[in-house]
This record gives sequence, C-alpha cells and structure tokens, in this order.
Amino acid sequence: MAWFMGVDIGSGTSKGVITKDGKPLAYHWLPSGFNYKMVAQKLGDELLAKLGLSPQDIAYTIATGYGAGSVPFSSQQVVDIRCCARGISSISPSVRTVIDVQGMSTQVIRLSDEGQVTNFIVSERCAAGSGRFLNIIANVLRMELKDIGPLSLKSKNPVIFTTGCAVFGESEAISRVSENAAKEDILAGVHKALADKISALIDRVGLEEQCAITGGGGLNVGLIKSLEGNLGIKLLVPPQPQFVTALGAAIMAEEHFAG
Amino acid sequence: MTKVVIIDADGGICSRVIGPTGAEHRRLANRVMEEALEQANLSFEEISYLVATGYGRINVPFADQQITELTCHARGVVSLFPTVRIAIDIGGQDAKGLKIHNGKLVDFVMNDKCAAGTGRFLEVITEALGIRVEELGSISSKSTNKVEISNTCTVFAQLEVISRLSEGLPLADIVAGLHDAIASRIAGMVRRLKVEPDVVVTGGVAKNMGVVNALRENLGCEVFVPEEPLLTGAMGAALLGKELTLQALAKGEPIQRKERRLEEVTFFNTRS
Repeated sequence: MAWFMGVDIGSGTSKGVITKDGKPLAYHWLPSGFNYKMVAQKLGDELLAKLGLSPQDIAYTIATGYGAGSVPFSSQQVVDIRCCARGISSISPSVRTVIDVQGMSTQVIRLSDEGQVTNFIVSERCAAGSGRFLNIIANVLRMELKDIGPLSLKSKNPVIFTTGCAVFGESEAISRVSENAAKEDILAGVHKALADKISALIDRVGLEEQCAITGGGGLNVGLIKSLEGNLGIKLLVPPQPQFVTALGAAIMAEEHFAG
Repeated sequence: MTKVVIIDADGGICSRVIGPTGAEHRRLANRVMEEALEQANLSFEEISYLVATGYGRINVPFADQQITELTCHARGVVSLFPTVRIAIDIGGQDAKGLKIHNGKLVDFVMNDKCAAGTGRFLEVITEALGIRVEELGSISSKSTNKVEISNTCTVFAQLEVISRLSEGLPLADIVAGLHDAIASRIAGMVRRLKVEPDVVVTGGVAKNMGVVNALRENLGCEVFVPEEPLLTGAMGAALLGKELTLQALAKGEPIQRKERRLEEVTFFNTRS
C-alpha cells in the first residue's frame, strides 16, 4: 500500500494533497506565514493525521510552489507550472489552457492534447495582477475574501479603476468609499481590473478551449464572471481549484514512483 | 501637498507656503492661498497674475491660467539651476524625468502607473515599519551592508521587508536597500532620456538624502537638490505668470484675469 503527497508552498497559503491510485484522499491548507519550513512540516503532519498515516506510509513526496525548497521531507521539487498542468489534466483531460491565479502572480499555461506544457507566461510579481489585489480591496471594505465575488455580481454601476497598481488602486477604492459608492460597484470594478490584466496575459500566449481557472482565483465567482465576459467563453472551474497544483504534484509523485 | 509661491516683478520671493492637499483634496487651495497672501502681506487684488499647475490644477477656480506641471517644473528648476539637463521629480503619486535643453523642456518620461519608483513606495513600507518617511535618510546613513530588496512591487516588497526584519537584519541596512530599490527604478526610467549632467532632483523624496545618494550611485553622476525641493513647480508657475504679464504689458495687450475671489471648488465630482 503506497500513498503519495504533493505539497505546494505558495506565497500566501500552503496546500497539501495525499493521493492513492491517482485519486485525492485528503486535502489540507495553512497560511504560509514567514517560516516556510515550519508551515511545510505542520502541513505534512496534519495532512497525514487526516488519514491516520505516518510519514513512512508516504512513498514519494513532490514539493512545488514559491517555497518548494523549504519542504524538509520532500523527495523531489518540481516547478509549479508542470504540477498545475498535471493536476488539471488529471481532472479534465480536455483542458488546453489554464489560468492559474495565485497570491503573488498569475500564470497562463498552454497544454498539448497529451497534457504536456507547450507554452506559458508568468506575470510580473505585481499585486494588481494577482489575487493579492482582491485581498487588499476586501480589507478596504472590511469584508472577507470569500464574500467579495458573490457581492460583486450584484453591481449595476461598476466603478472604473484608472490605475493598474494595487497601491494606487487601494487609494482609489478608499476615495470611492468616501464618496459613498456601493460596495458591490467597487468590487465589480476591482474584479474587472484584475480580469483585464489577466486577459492581456492570455492574449500573449493565445487561448484554446477548454480553458480552466485554478489557484485561489478559481474560488472567486466575481473574477470568473469578469474573465468570462472578457474572453467570451465559459471557464472550467475544477473542484478545489486552489489544490490543483498540489494534486498534480502528488500525481507526479505516483508516476515517478511507478517509474 | 498644495504649494503657493508669490514673487514680485523682479522674481524675488515674497512668500512660499506648503499646505496639505489631503483627502478632501482639491478644495483646500483657497486656504493655502490665503496663508500665502497673509505671509506676503498682500491682498488678493494685488496679485497681477495667477497660474495653477500640478495634478489638481483644474481645481483652482481662481487661477488666471492653468499650465501643465511639466512646463512649470522645468521653468522652476531652470531658474535655480540654469545648466540643468535632467530634472527628476519624485512625488507621492508619480515620478517624472524631464530633459531640458537650453532651459527648454524637450522630452520627458513619467511613471504614474506603478507605486514602485514613486514616493508612495517608501510611504507604504515605512507605515508597516512604524517609522516616519522623514527619518529614513538618517536611518540609512548608518547602514554598513545594504540588504537587496528582490521584489519590485510595493505590496510584496513590504512583506519582504517585514520578513527580513523578522530574520534579525538591521533596520538601517534594510532601509538602505529600499533607497537603492527606488533609486534604481527611477534611474532605469530616466535613462530612457540619456542622462547628461547637470542632474537635479526635486519633489518630496528629494528631501531624503538616502535616496539622493542612491540616485548618485545608480546614475553615476552628481545629483543636485534645491534648498526647498517641493516648491520648484509652484516657483515655475509664478515665473511663467510673471513672464506672461510682462509680455502682455510690453505689447500693450490686455491681461485676461479671473475675478479675484477666493472660493473653494464646487464643480468637482469624481463620479461620472
């Protein structure tokens, strides 16, 4: 009996998945904080505890993400683009384009019919082009991240953000709040601003359907609708989109172990 | 900030005031103006010509004319440094590079799209550190081994700085790293103009000697700072106003003036 683990240490959150026979059995995440080593250890321990396993039960572990080098128990490190691609094709083999919206950047990955990465583009580490922008504006509005997407859909008169910078955008949001703009209108504007940045990124590598959205951005219905509006297509949203990269890492661990 | 400079017919400064612009913004120009008049011991009627400039120049309803900040800025810097070729202005909202030839503005570059490379970068990060921007220069002067800041984005640089501090690195070295980060970003922008001496730097950030020194290093040449680096734009506006008035007088043309009434702007509405 062999289990496999994928660990994705992101800039904001760390995610872990345990698989067996190509199927995810347990998911777990923690905020990354500042000490990646510590969070990786804790994540691994808590993930094992969910299935009542001990470290010896894990045959192979692949670490990925921004802090991949800080996972003391990993067997191997693999770049997150490959893990994300592997994860999404294990869920839906028909995906040809993945939009992976992370906490520090966004990447767009193109896949071949066989699920191989053929091209990709990674945004600059810019808060306005990543999920971080949504956190910042949620803070301005004193809202929880999970609530901002649904509320943004109620907007009838979206605020237009004139800047492409999260710092200036925060000031703009504060000004709009002081002018009594509705929360949903500010949120719709922020989602649109992020969607525009991501769409420009997609233009550079080309869009082929089916197109999926992964990462924390895949949990935000406001961003999804805004992107769908820009791209004129329907996006595939996998279950547990924030775990796709960790899942891919675990599946690659299985494949590596099988030889 | 809202700045007012009043000059006499010889270009001598009668008063100069730096006041807040603030969040309520744009509405406070009249108050700063009142203060400047008081300081000069002048009535508003005695002002021959009034030029408004800067980001909020359309929000000065009592100005006789609006002139862009680039033109005013160039004029102001040239009045202080006649041999200037490159003027760099680093404010809280944006950063600009001006190329000046024979006292005339010939080209410019600007960043108002990204907080990194503007004064906002330092404001945001010092807020997280619990120190004031005014202290940054003296803090970094004690640095012996500057810490390289790898993130360009202000938001992520802030996290990086907190992380470096928690690792126990000295604040002075981190602040020196921040000064280098902003200076290298601005130098990168200004190099598009082909940098030639003399280089003058103005704006609020020019008061920070740490950034000025880092700019010297990054540009590889001397960088001059006016005694009051916040006032060059207003100074230029006053000088241009004076020149327009004297030209009109010399030609015997009438001077188009607004009614001399101090009021706050009321038409302004950011929501359209």
